[in-house]
Amino acid sequence: MAETALASRPEPQSRASHSLSIRSLSKYYGSLAAVDDVSLEVRQGRFLTLLGPSGSGKTTILMATAGFVQPSAGEILLDDKPITNLPPDKRNFGMVFQGYALFPHMSVEDNIWFPLRVRGVSKSAAAKSVATSLELVQMAHLAKRLPTQLSGGQQQRVALARALVFQPDLLLLDEPLSALDKKLRADLQWELKSLHARLGTTFIYVTHDQEEALSMSDEIVILRDGKIEQQGDPVALYERPATRFVADFLGKSNFIRGQSAGGDAQGFRVKAGEVTLHQAGSQAADQPVLIALRPEKLSVTRARPDLPNAIPGRIAAFNYYGSTFHLQVETGALGDLIVTVPAWKCEIDPAIGNEVWLGWEPDASVVVRDN
Amino acid sequence: MKGDFREKFGRGLVLGGAWTVLAFLILPMVVIFPVSVTDQYYLSMPKDGISLAHYAAFFTNEIWLSATAQSVIIATCSTIFAVILGSLCAIGCWRLSTGLSESVRTFMLIPIIVPTIVQALAMYRFWIDLGIIDTYVGVILAHTLVAIPYVIITVSASLANFDLRQEQAARSLGASMPQTIRWVIVPSILPGVLSGALFAFTISFDEIVMVLFITSRAIYTLPKRIWNGIEDHLDPTIAAVATMLIAVTLALLLLDLWTRHRRQQRLRAAAAEE
Repeated sequence: MAETALASRPEPQSRASHSLSIRSLSKYYGSLAAVDDVSLEVRQGRFLTLLGPSGSGKTTILMATAGFVQPSAGEILLDDKPITNLPPDKRNFGMVFQGYALFPHMSVEDNIWFPLRVRGVSKSAAAKSVATSLELVQMAHLAKRLPTQLSGGQQQRVALARALVFQPDLLLLDEPLSALDKKLRADLQWELKSLHARLGTTFIYVTHDQEEALSMSDEIVILRDGKIEQQGDPVALYERPATRFVADFLGKSNFIRGQSAGGDAQGFRVKAGEVTLHQAGSQAADQPVLIALRPEKLSVTRARPDLPNAIPGRIAAFNYYGSTFHLQVETGALGDLIVTVPAWKCEIDPAIGNEVWLGWEPDASVVVRDN
Repeated sequence: MKGDFREKFGRGLVLGGAWTVLAFLILPMVVIFPVSVTDQYYLSMPKDGISLAHYAAFFTNEIWLSATAQSVIIATCSTIFAVILGSLCAIGCWRLSTGLSESVRTFMLIPIIVPTIVQALAMYRFWIDLGIIDTYVGVILAHTLVAIPYVIITVSASLANFDLRQEQAARSLGASMPQTIRWVIVPSILPGVLSGALFAFTISFDEIVMVLFITSRAIYTLPKRIWNGIEDHLDPTIAAVATMLIAVTLALLLLDLWTRHRRQQRLRAAAAEE
C-alpha cells in the first residue's frame, strides 16, 4: 500500500552514484579502540547497513565517513579519491541524524533550502529543487511550517528531503527511525527502500535494530567491539550465521552444545548429552560443536514427528503475539528450547504443562563458532 | 470550633506576614512617586497639589542630562564588550567541554561572588597604576568585568539546550564553520545573548560602588549624581529621576517577560497542533 502511494510521485533527476572504500580504519579513544582495523567496500548504488549493539563502533565509522571523527589510522576513499582529511562540508555527503536535527528557527522550506543557500543559490533559484524534494517525501503541503509544528515522522521526511536536495554523493543515515513508534517505523522502512531504488544514490545506514537491517539492506555488516563480525546479504546472514553472536543478534536462536561423532555425505551426528542429533554439513569427529537453531524452524506436534531430529518436552511458558505463539519447551536433555509457531495453524494446545514433541530437519540448524 | 479558629488564626498570621514583607519590599519604591510630584522645594509629600516641576527640572538641567548621557554611554559600551566577550567565552567552553573549560567557566563567575566593595578597592589601586582613574575607559572596563559573568550564565544556559547535531547537520549540508555560526548557532542562542545584554546594561546603569571609588570630577554617572544630590541638598528632582529609573527598569522587565511568554505560547501552540 505504501508502494502504490510512492509510484505516483515525481521522479527526481538521475544522479551519479558513487562507491566508498574504508581501508584499515581505526579510532582510539585513549587505549580504547572504538573501531579496530575495519576495511569495507561499499559498491555504488548499494544500501549498506552497519548493524551492531551500542559500543560496537558503527556510529564511529559513519562519523568518520561524514568527517566528524578524525580516524587514528586508516583511509577513506570516495571513488578511489582519498577524503580522510576533507572537512565535513567539503565531502558532499547527505546525512540524516537520529532526532532529525532540523533547524528550529527555519521553516520547512528554509531548512531544505539551507544546503543550496550555503552553496550560493538564492531562494528563488532554489525554489524548484526545494519543491521537488518536498514532493519526493510527500511534504509539499507543509512547506511553511516550523519543525516544532510537525510530528516525528514528518520531521524525518523533511530531514531526508534536506539531505537529498543537493544531490549528495552518498546518503548517510544514523539511526533515523529510532525515535519513531513501531508502526510509523515500518511505513518509513518501505519508503526508504523505495526512495533508494528510485534515486540510485549509495546509502549507508546505521542501526541497532535487526529488523530494519533485514528489511531494507542490500548488504549488512555486523559489528562487534569495533570489528566486523560478519557481512553479507540479509538472507545469507540470517540463514548462515557464522558465529554465536550473529545467530543471537540477528533474529533469535536456540543453542545446543555437543560433540561431533562421525558422519557421511548427508551430514554428521552430534552427541548432546544422551541425545544424538543429525546435523547437515561435515565436521571431524570428537570436536566440540555449537548448533544454532531458529525458533521458527522447529515443528511442534502431539505425536512423535517423522523427522531425523525429534525430542519430547513439556510446555513451560507461552506468549501469544496474534500471528504467532512463542513457546518455551523444557526438554530435559537439551535444556529449554524456544519455539515460534504460526498461531492460526498451531496443532497443539498451547497450555502450560502439556507434553509435546519438537522436531527439525538436519539442515534447519547451523553449526556456529562459539565466541 | 476551637480548632477552626486556630486554623484561621494561623492562616491569617502567615498571610499577614507575607503581605508585610511584600509591603516592606515595595513601599519604599511606591513612596518615591508621590514625592516626585511634590509642589515643595525639598524632599516631601505633596502639600497643596501636585506638580511636574521636578520632572521639568530634570529635562532642563544640564547636570542631570549630562549624567544620564554619561550613564547611557558607559552602559552601552560595557554591554557591547560584555556580550561579545561573555558569549565567546561561553561558546568556547561549550565547544571544548573539558574539565579545564568547566573550571574556566566557574572562574569567570568570581566577580559575582567577591563583594563589590573589595573589587572596587582593588580596582582603585590598580586603575591608578594604569592611569585610567576617572576616565570613561576605566569605568567601562570595570562594568564590563562585572557584567561578563551574567552574559556567560545566560548564553551557557541557551547553549545547554542547543543540539550539537544541528551544528553537524549544517556542516554535513555543506556549511563552513563561519556560515554555521551565523545561520545556525547564533539564531539558536539569541534569546540567551539578549537576556545577557539586558542584565549587563542594567548592572552598569545602576552600579555606584565602583563608580564612587574609581571616578572623581570628570565622570558623573546618574547613580553618582543622585548620591551627591542627596548629600548636598534634598532636591525632589532625585525622586523624579528615581521614578523614571524604576519605570524604565519595569518596562524592560515586562518586555523580557512578554517575549518569553510569546515564545512559550508559540511552542505550546505547536505542541497542541501536533
